[in-house]
Order: sequence, then structure tokens, then C-alpha cells
Amino acid sequence: MTHLELENLASEYLEGRLDVVARVEVEAHLKECGPCRELIGDVRHAMELCQSAEELEPAPWLISKILLATIGEKKPSFGERVAAFFRPQPRMRLAYGIAMTVFSISIISNAAGLNLRHLTFEDLKPSTWIRRADSTGHMMLARAEKFYYDLRVVYEIESRLRQFRQGAGQGNGREQRETPKTDSPGGGTTDRKPPEMPVLATVQDVIDASADINGNLFSPAGARRSSLR
Amino acid sequence: MDDDPKLVMRCLAGENSAWEVLLKAHTRKIFNLCYRFTGRPTEAEDLTQEIFIKIFQTLQSFDEAQGTFATWLNRVARNHLVDHYRRTRRDRVTSSLDDEPGTMQETPSPAAGPGAEVESRERRELLQQGLEKLSPDLREAVILRDLSDLDYDEIAQVLGVPQGTVKSRINRGRLELARVLKRMEVMKGPAKAGGAT
Repeated sequence: MTHLELENLASEYLEGRLDVVARVEVEAHLKECGPCRELIGDVRHAMELCQSAEELEPAPWLISKILLATIGEKKPSFGERVAAFFRPQPRMRLAYGIAMTVFSISIISNAAGLNLRHLTFEDLKPSTWIRRADSTGHMMLARAEKFYYDLRVVYEIESRLRQFRQGAGQGNGREQRETPKTDSPGGGTTDRKPPEMPVLATVQDVIDASADINGNLFSPAGARRSSLR
Repeated sequence: MDDDPKLVMRCLAGENSAWEVLLKAHTRKIFNLCYRFTGRPTEAEDLTQEIFIKIFQTLQSFDEAQGTFATWLNRVARNHLVDHYRRTRRDRVTSSLDDEPGTMQETPSPAAGPGAEVESRERRELLQQGLEKLSPDLREAVILRDLSDLDYDEIAQVLGVPQGTVKSRINRGRLELARVLKRMEVMKGPAKAGGAT
């Protein structure tokens, strides 16, 4: 084998593509020829250098630049648009709208007496909604009215009690003014009487007063009077 | 890569997302091919963009029966690079090295320290300078075989020459590159030794 023949087979020999006969011939030549051994070593080194070369990273904006040059401004797909819609963003108006919608639905369903967890076919009829809303409305009105009368009763009891206390206080004062004081004016002693407690209404007084108020409020005359006010 | 023909069909149907997928899958390879061919990052980026614009415009001419999409892409890229080489031959004689090869970033290896990084950069520069010394025919054969890792059959399709010619070009390219690298290392050796003293 000549030097030129070996040169022509160098790549195939290094890649292991030669058949057995050719490989034996090449190896025999290499054993005897120093310059060819050196050449094969250099080619192997060059191949290794190429194969060990790592890939380079293009600039990050290159793909965007090419996309812009080919398809223009990228239009978002339907999926991307949907994802963008649901992506959490500070959209106060949308949040307020959703909150108000939920609130309105809950109010309407409450008023219509709907149980959203156990919906029946009957619940879907608008006539049922109206009937239930009417019933609920009347019930609320009645409760409000009752609450108002209860408040009035409590107020009346309180005002009567206040009057009783004041009356009792005035009676005691009058008695105190009429009886002369026995204490020495200069004092000097330490065993003074504790001040007298105000006289409270007795239980019987309260019962009488509440019976009187109830009679006034719930008797037809009392009711008429209160409605006129 | 197996999905490339389907992606091409979807591209032709007007689906932009398919084109984006194709682009992302092949940009790096084509950019590397351009960089190895030109040795200049900005030029390689421009060429990559031009190649993909050409691909986009001629996508309907891709025929799966004649080879894979990657082979077709490489063929278009190679033809574009050859055209570019011929077009800019005159400019290149007087051009200055305005792009530093060292400005490029390689994919970092996990355990690469500063020393390994310097060594890797030196090897890359050496290889790039060696490749630039080769004739375009030999250079493209070596790049496609040893850097782009294509097999002989694919290279023959890309270059449009018989497989025997491909083998011959690859062999001659490697021999030439080995000689050039040796010369460069010999020249660098004394300089390094001188610098050390």
C-alpha cells in the first residue's frame, strides 16, 4: 500500500468502515510508516475536535424575529385567548361584576326559596318563583311588623319603669324634706347611716304595667291609635 | 422530527403554531451550520433568518418522498450559504473581523469550571479558524458530517452529489483540516512558550 492509497482510506479507516482485508493492509503500512502514523493521528485529532465541539445557542430573540418576518405579528390561538381571559389579573371591574352577579343570584334564589343543592323540576317554574317570592315577602313584612311592635312594647315598659322610679324618688325626697335631720351639722362621728337606695318598682308593678301596655297596643282601639300615629 | 411532515401540512393549512414548532425545532441546527460556515455570529443570525424565510415561502415544494424535512432544510440552507459565499466573496477579502467568535455562548456543560470554559473557547476558535481555511466544498462536507452529524446518504442528498464524491470530499476535508490545525498549533506553541517566560 502506498502513502497516497492510505490517505484516501484515512477517513474510512478511522470510522471503522473498511473491510477486514483493507484494514489489515492499512495497519501493516502504519506499522512501518512513521509519517503516515502521524497523519492518521492528526486526522483523528481533527475529527475529535469537530465532534467534541458543543452546539452554539442562537440569540434568544432570533426565533421571534423570524416569526415576525414570516407570519407577522403572532395572533393568539383560541386556547391562548381563553387562557389569557382566565389568567389572574387585577381586573377590579370584572371581580366587582362577578361578585354582584353572585350576590344577586343568591338574593333571588333566597327570595324564591330555591335550594340550589337540591333543585327539583318544580323549582324551575317561574310561577313557583313568584309564589315563593310573594310568600317570602309577606313573611318578611310580618316579621318586620312584629319586630316593630316588640320594640314598642319594650320601649313602653322601659318608659313606665322610668316613670315609676321617678315617682318613687320624688316621694322619698318629699318625705326627706318633711322629716328634720337628726345628724349633727358639724359631723364628728363616723357611724353615719349609708345613703338610702332608690326605691325600685315591685314585680307586681311591672306585671300591671305590661298588662296595661298590652291592652293598649293590641286592643282594637290601641291598634287604631298606633296606626294613626 | 417524525412529526415534521404533519407540521408542514398544518403550516400549509395556515396554522401558525405549527410553523412556530418547526422553527423552534430546527433553528439551532441551522444557526450552527451558518455559524460554522461563516464564523460570524451576526452574519449567521441574518443567514438563519433568510433561510427560514425562504423555507416558509417554499414550504409547498417540500416533498416527503424525496427525503426528510431536515434533509430538505439542510439542502436549502446549504444552497443559500453557497450563494451567500459567492455573493460576498469580494467583500470578504477586505472585510475585517468585526465579530469576535468568543462572544458566542456554548451550551454550558454541567460541571464546566472557568478553566474548562477557557479551554473550550480556545478549541472552538481553533476549529473555526481551521474550517475557514478550507475550500467551501470541503468545508461544507466536513461541517455536515462531523458537526451536523448527518450520514453519507443525507449529505449526498443535501449537496446533490453522488455518495462517492461525498466520501472523497469528507476525506480530503479532514486531511486538509488536520494539516491546517497542526500548522496552527505549531505556530501557537512557540508563542505560548514565549508568553510564559
